[in-house]
Amino acid sequence: MSGLQDMARQSARGLGFLALVALVGGALALAEPRFLSAASLNGIARHMAANGLAALGLTFVVIVRKFDLSISGVAAFTAMSMGAVIAAGAPLWLAVAAGIAIGAVIGLISGTAISRFGLPDIVTTIAVGSICAGLAFLYTGGRSIFQNFFQVGITDLNDARLLGLGVSLWILLAVYAVAWFVMHRTRTGMAFYATGENQVAAHFSGIATRRYIALAYVMCAICTVLAVLLILAESGNAETNKGANLMMPAYAGVFLGAAILGGTSVLATLGGILLITMLLDGFSLMGVPYYYSDGVISLILLAGVLAFSDTARGYLAGLVAVRALRRARSGGKA
Amino acid sequence: MDRRHSKGRRLARLTTNLWLVAALVLMTAAIASQKPQLLDPGNVVAVLKSFSIMVMMVLGLTWVIAAGKIDVSFMQVAALSNMLCAWGLSQGWGWWGAIGAGLCAGLAVGLLNGWLVAVMRLPALIVTISTAGLCASLAAALGKGTVIRIAAPGPLASLLEPQFGGAVPLIVLPVLALAGAAWFVQERLTMGRYIYAMAQNEAAIRSVGVPVVGLTLLLFVFSGLCASLAGVILAENLASGQPMIGGPYLINGLTVVLLGGMMVHVGKPNILGTLTATLFIGVLFSGAALLGLPDYQRQIIQGALLLSGLVVATLAARHHGERRKGG
Amino acid sequence: MAAPVLMASDVSKRFGPVLALRGVDFHVEPGEVHALLGINGAGKSTFIKILSGIIQKDGGRITVAGAEVTFRTPEDAIRAGIATVQQHPELVPDMSGLDNIFLGRESASRGLFSRIDQRGLERRAEALLARFPVALDLWQEVGRMSAVEREAVAILQAIAGEHTRVLILDEPTSTLTEVEREDLFALMGLLKAQGIAIIYITHQLEEVFAIADSFSVFRGGTCVARMTVAEAKAGDVSLANLMLGEAIGDIFPPRAETPPGAAVLEVEDFCLEGDFRGISLTARKGEILGIFGLVGSGCDEFAKAVFGVTPPDRGTLRLHGQPVSLRSPRQALDAGVFLVPGDRRTEGLVLSRPALFNVPLANLGRAAAGRWGLKRRRMQGDARELTGQVALHPPSLTTPASGFSGGNQQKIVLAKGLYSQADVYIFVEPTVGVDIGARAKIYALMRQLSREAAVIVISSDCDEVHGVADRTLALHKGRQIEPAVGTFSRDALLMAGIMGEVTQ
Repeated sequence: MSGLQDMARQSARGLGFLALVALVGGALALAEPRFLSAASLNGIARHMAANGLAALGLTFVVIVRKFDLSISGVAAFTAMSMGAVIAAGAPLWLAVAAGIAIGAVIGLISGTAISRFGLPDIVTTIAVGSICAGLAFLYTGGRSIFQNFFQVGITDLNDARLLGLGVSLWILLAVYAVAWFVMHRTRTGMAFYATGENQVAAHFSGIATRRYIALAYVMCAICTVLAVLLILAESGNAETNKGANLMMPAYAGVFLGAAILGGTSVLATLGGILLITMLLDGFSLMGVPYYYSDGVISLILLAGVLAFSDTARGYLAGLVAVRALRRARSGGKA
Repeated sequence: MDRRHSKGRRLARLTTNLWLVAALVLMTAAIASQKPQLLDPGNVVAVLKSFSIMVMMVLGLTWVIAAGKIDVSFMQVAALSNMLCAWGLSQGWGWWGAIGAGLCAGLAVGLLNGWLVAVMRLPALIVTISTAGLCASLAAALGKGTVIRIAAPGPLASLLEPQFGGAVPLIVLPVLALAGAAWFVQERLTMGRYIYAMAQNEAAIRSVGVPVVGLTLLLFVFSGLCASLAGVILAENLASGQPMIGGPYLINGLTVVLLGGMMVHVGKPNILGTLTATLFIGVLFSGAALLGLPDYQRQIIQGALLLSGLVVATLAARHHGERRKGG
Repeated sequence: MAAPVLMASDVSKRFGPVLALRGVDFHVEPGEVHALLGINGAGKSTFIKILSGIIQKDGGRITVAGAEVTFRTPEDAIRAGIATVQQHPELVPDMSGLDNIFLGRESASRGLFSRIDQRGLERRAEALLARFPVALDLWQEVGRMSAVEREAVAILQAIAGEHTRVLILDEPTSTLTEVEREDLFALMGLLKAQGIAIIYITHQLEEVFAIADSFSVFRGGTCVARMTVAEAKAGDVSLANLMLGEAIGDIFPPRAETPPGAAVLEVEDFCLEGDFRGISLTARKGEILGIFGLVGSGCDEFAKAVFGVTPPDRGTLRLHGQPVSLRSPRQALDAGVFLVPGDRRTEGLVLSRPALFNVPLANLGRAAAGRWGLKRRRMQGDARELTGQVALHPPSLTTPASGFSGGNQQKIVLAKGLYSQADVYIFVEPTVGVDIGARAKIYALMRQLSREAAVIVISSDCDEVHGVADRTLALHKGRQIEPAVGTFSRDALLMAGIMGEVTQ
């Protein structure tokens, strides 16, 4: 019985979300007809790929009930590291491997500090992020790296197409498919969720909770590296401010998705990031200056978590109840 | 509380209270022996000026963190107030109007943060990340992405001038007075006691009828107001509105608050600790610059300092906990 | 008979379609300790919430000292002289007992900007201690205090402010040791002597006869009996029968019929500094081994040591004759040891998740298909079957565990244990917060489990241990106490656990 109710509630939320996407898309298309052009849709797919990968990484961390504010710093450092490897003449795969390795080590450091030594997550990741942002200047003192970028073929990640869709979108879909399967169809996923929702009970159930928390930070850093890789592919060079714009959309995607679709999950993040990217690209197409983008995302994030918060729902229910009561009273009088 | 402390315990307390002061003195002496320019009046004025601005920036933040909440919007509130002040001047509002507008922005953001956290019960990090993004965006939009210059010096200019033989900017005095008042509130009034109690057990103070919602609101408003005042002073100091000025203050602010939380009341951010830690970081950075360290190395040092501070605080708390279990 | 200080007549309360209270009549007299009894869901906590102003009644009258009152907020109740100490009192651990007692009332004027008069607080504290001379260092931090000292601080906090006429204590003894319980009863005596009426909620029926003057029994949302303890003693009234509404006979299942089988778990010379030492025991298939120990006896720590949560300093553990070393719950579960933990809400269940999530959690390997996949359909089938076996009520796989009563939450933990197919089951305080109906079912399940596995029941409830176990021993201050010959009688077990003596 309640299983059916549950499914009904889930599908209602899903339908509501699709309606929201259609509404936002329609409104943007009305305001700016170019929104539905092939170039614009391609752009959305590309930006969604980078934003979506970073948001997916954050999703793991949020599922174990922690925060990661080092995304921008990790992005800057790994961008410059990959750039330096490419500039040294190494093949692309080596640069990617180096980036992922560095990201994994940073994630492991933050994750271990937080899970094993009990440091507070927010401040620890801010500190780690700051150190990484400083380390990004090690290679060139802050100058842009672009040598060998063209020869090494990194731009193909941005330009090449497969079955009519950009490679970056395929990367996004592949990573999300794997993540969805792992988080929602395997024991590993159950262990992640159990760790987040009750760490003690998970430990008593034989789950290595500290390892999962550390793993979440490692996954977050690796996803950030993948996101940065796509950004490097798009711009064709590495700079220390690459990835500075990854953090806000990631937070907005995770929390907006969770608010609309009823809980943090891989699909909710995908939905959240789709909405955010549509809005961002739509606005930039309409000529809204770049500096409004953070503000727009922030507003959407706030509005989203506020509208779907328990307190707001409580107020709403109260309002409905009061109305019903009034109606009943006036009906009684009449 | 105090009457049971023996002399020995008092001495032990004094050392845990003031070790950072000692470290500050030692570090100053060490750097000055290498680079005597550190103590030149010109350099002292610069250090004290940035000290005053930094203290203004994080005075409210200290209590927010002491109460177990977080505010990562303070530096962007400062940026918004800074830009609003400069923009208001360019619109011909006059200095007092521009300063008023800057402070109103801080009040408004503080109210918004406080309302969302205290009344709507949203997580403080998500709320303040969002309002930070919003403020940064608005700040940039005011100047269409660029700096706004301020032509004429305003009423705060004299505060930033060196006085007392050319080594102390006057601004230090009102800032210290404000910090002293805050110290009094923290140590002697009920509010200070409730702030620390709130971090440990919010339900406990709620159940005895302390207005928790009002207190939370007040803390965020105070944080917003302090940051906006810092932003206004920055406008005067830099003779411009700088939309990107907020960024570096996040890590700076958190570092001084958490480092300061390791003295006086160990493990608890407090006003006196914040003051000392701010001066400590100020001297350290000034010295590092004199020694020729580039910006990014200072950033790495600061991150490492924050991280090691966290480790010490966590270990201290754990030690405390174990002793408690044993006794 | 003195005039009642608090009187409720015909009080009712409805939650949606559920009538939680119907026509409750209740009264207490000044200087009386009055026990409030009833199984979970009988309506006693709803009634207490109405008395303390947390929720409002729908109908009926409440009078305090003869004057009718209406409580809209907890402050209203406090102003009328009704103070409540919650089951888990909220205190600030880093503050002294004194500062906790006067928290929120540091100065005459309330609010955030009042000057704290520390001298004045100390004077008020001394006056309070003069009125209620308890042995308590109020200058100590609450975080360093024992459970009973914290309870005393909470009681002093509740009665310090206004002129208290009625004090409500919600299960104050559930976390106290036997000795601490005596201290609390002494404090209650002091309060009583001052004319304060105490309403005392407890699940421990023997406490009623130890401390109370009279009692009320709630059942099905109404007060079904009120009598003095003297009357109950004279009439040989069964409190359990009153609470259940029918003669329940024995809630314990019959003992094992066949002699125990092979040794499954052998513990030899287990020691953990500060908690227990030299514990050696054997658990066999086909019998239930009972361990009686009070809070602080090392029982809980011993169970966690066997389960690998806090491994012992020394000692050996053998499973099926093979020495094993269990350093984490993971290793314990893999080796076939399952713990039903004492604190099921934090240690046993992910409360935000339904049975379907919780039941397979301790044995995800069984639910897995290969290295990665999950056999979702089979997992669901297994969960349905096992929750049926433990008679989960309501039988929902998708309702979050937080939505069930204490007894049914424990049944979910049991289903989780059944799913993990362990060889050894260790139960710690299996029926705390579980009403008497669910208790019988849980005991029956233990007996059923013991046919396939070794079962150890560890509890601070002597009757429970004696009633359900085939063989018993006691822990006292970390030391194991066994009968000289044969088995413990109930009284001998009690003496062994409380005094550490063998009286046979």
